[in-house]
Amino acid sequence: MSNIIESHNLSKVYNPDTIPVNAVSGVDLKVEEGEFTALVGPSGSGKTTLLNLIGGLDYPTGGNVKIGGIDITEMSENKLIDFRLKNIGFVFQAYNLIPVLTASENVEFVMLLQKTSKNEREKRAIELLTEVGLKDKLNKRPSELSGGQQQRVAVARALASKPRFILADEPTANLDSKSTENLLEIMAKLNIEDKMTFIFSTHDQRVIDKARRVVTLVDGKIVSDVKQ
Amino acid sequence: MLFKIAWRNIWRNRTRSIVVIASVAVGLFAGMFMMAFFQGAVNQEIDSMVETQLSHIQFHNPAFIDDKDVNDTIANGRAIINKLKNDKDVKAVSGRLVTTGMISSSSTASGVEIHGVVPSDEKAVSSISKDVIVGVYFTGLKKNEIVIGEKLAGKLGVKLHNKIVLTFQSKTGDLTAGSFRIAGIFRSRNSAFDESTVFTSFDDLAGLLVTGDGVHEIAVVLKDGQKTDAIAKVLKTEYQSLLVQTWTELSPQMALLTGIMDQMMYIIIGIILLALMFGIINTMLMAVLERQREFGMLMAIGMNKPRVFFMILLESVMLTCAGIPAGILLTIITVGSLARHGIDLSAFSQALSQYGFSNFIFPVLKQSMFLPVSLMTAFTAVLSAIYPAIKALRFKPAEAIHKI
Repeated sequence: MSNIIESHNLSKVYNPDTIPVNAVSGVDLKVEEGEFTALVGPSGSGKTTLLNLIGGLDYPTGGNVKIGGIDITEMSENKLIDFRLKNIGFVFQAYNLIPVLTASENVEFVMLLQKTSKNEREKRAIELLTEVGLKDKLNKRPSELSGGQQQRVAVARALASKPRFILADEPTANLDSKSTENLLEIMAKLNIEDKMTFIFSTHDQRVIDKARRVVTLVDGKIVSDVKQ
Repeated sequence: MLFKIAWRNIWRNRTRSIVVIASVAVGLFAGMFMMAFFQGAVNQEIDSMVETQLSHIQFHNPAFIDDKDVNDTIANGRAIINKLKNDKDVKAVSGRLVTTGMISSSSTASGVEIHGVVPSDEKAVSSISKDVIVGVYFTGLKKNEIVIGEKLAGKLGVKLHNKIVLTFQSKTGDLTAGSFRIAGIFRSRNSAFDESTVFTSFDDLAGLLVTGDGVHEIAVVLKDGQKTDAIAKVLKTEYQSLLVQTWTELSPQMALLTGIMDQMMYIIIGIILLALMFGIINTMLMAVLERQREFGMLMAIGMNKPRVFFMILLESVMLTCAGIPAGILLTIITVGSLARHGIDLSAFSQALSQYGFSNFIFPVLKQSMFLPVSLMTAFTAVLSAIYPAIKALRFKPAEAIHKI
């Protein structure tokens, strides 16, 4: 398997001129295609910052990140947006769906940004929402869905752009145990059947138990990297 | 889908959007009402000037305009009048004698412009005969009748049937006086005109001036006032030895007033829209700051900055455009009703009559106003959205996503 993500001596310092905070410090991380990796660690350990850097949502203060061999830390903001659209799927802790769109429209939206044709968009949105078990909720707006259902829409949306990998920041933090179980099953199935690479940050032991690789961060540094 | 999102976003905060839409509608209404009001006032003023004083076209001996010398009559005036009366575009023609002189009552005297008119012709050209409030517009039965304005009558302390004396210079250069009896007192919209103009019969004045058949002024009213310039052009070519002037040439200040009216109105609308702009900026800024997390997410999943910018612009334009039809409807209903019944400004009648304005203003709604005003409003919406949109573009996805 080839490396899909590579970070070299990756660092992020907040407030470098006032009270410097080393959120990520000298992280070297390689993620292969098809991995199901959990980033774990206590609050403030740098999990979200590391995901933001890997996902190109933020620029590092040191080191670099390569996605498929391309250094994204050198890209302009506009190029990075385009790169994210084509290569990375995101699942956020607070679901972050577009509240005025239906589940189906939320999934279609990413494909619209990719200029996919209307017919193809609609077809794929139905396929993906069916895959995450929401075939009967296509026309429901986020406010009409439970937290678990919204997060499943978010997973479908992340998959819609056919990304190379999906980053999920504490995807189960706002979910009850049943919804967590359900979401994990979907993610695991996508990982095994579709070879979709998942990297997620989590505190949740159930999520950690499902992961096949667990990277532990403390004070912005990797203190352990275990395959299970 | 961007249009769908923008439209639905507007209705996320229904109350706030309705307030903005109402502001746009009321702002637009206020602007167009002002335009209609002033347009109506100016139109009435022009009509009044044309009907009472200017008519559409006037003929003079070119020398007469400089010092109103009674000797400067129009050569073959009567023949020209008869020819004009047969012109298919001409509604009415009146030949006048015009001179300046002194009007005296037993108590006081005043300077006036004396118009000698053929009452039957003048009635068709001027509305003064309809403005007579006491007596009649010449009985035609007696010699030396005079019709004067109410304001002048008050100034001279005279009433109907009182005698007054007109003194002026005749064609021979002698100072001539004539005794006239007041046959009628008029009140036009213009009190300054009422105070300074008197009317006698053509023959009576011609006898005193010793001008014979000569006329100083030929006033022409056309069947279609819109054709004034075109017809005047033809007449100017035909009567090259005479001074042929349209009402805009005779009263350039009126022409200027109509010319600058549109510009003034757009300035007023501009001021209203400027005020509106701050309201829209405030609303859009609130909407953008409230949705910081959403914009962060949109940029995170791949919505580029031009698209984010366009979406905010679209929301602002849609919000404003929802108010435009409401504003136009409000204007049509309100101004339409006031155009029929008029706006009663009799509380300010004294001030208005000094400037020749009527007590009742009938607003004139020009449909041609709608498009430019609507476009100006839409443009305001675009301008208003720029700052909030720039603000949104400055959000950092990694930070914005975690905003509450």
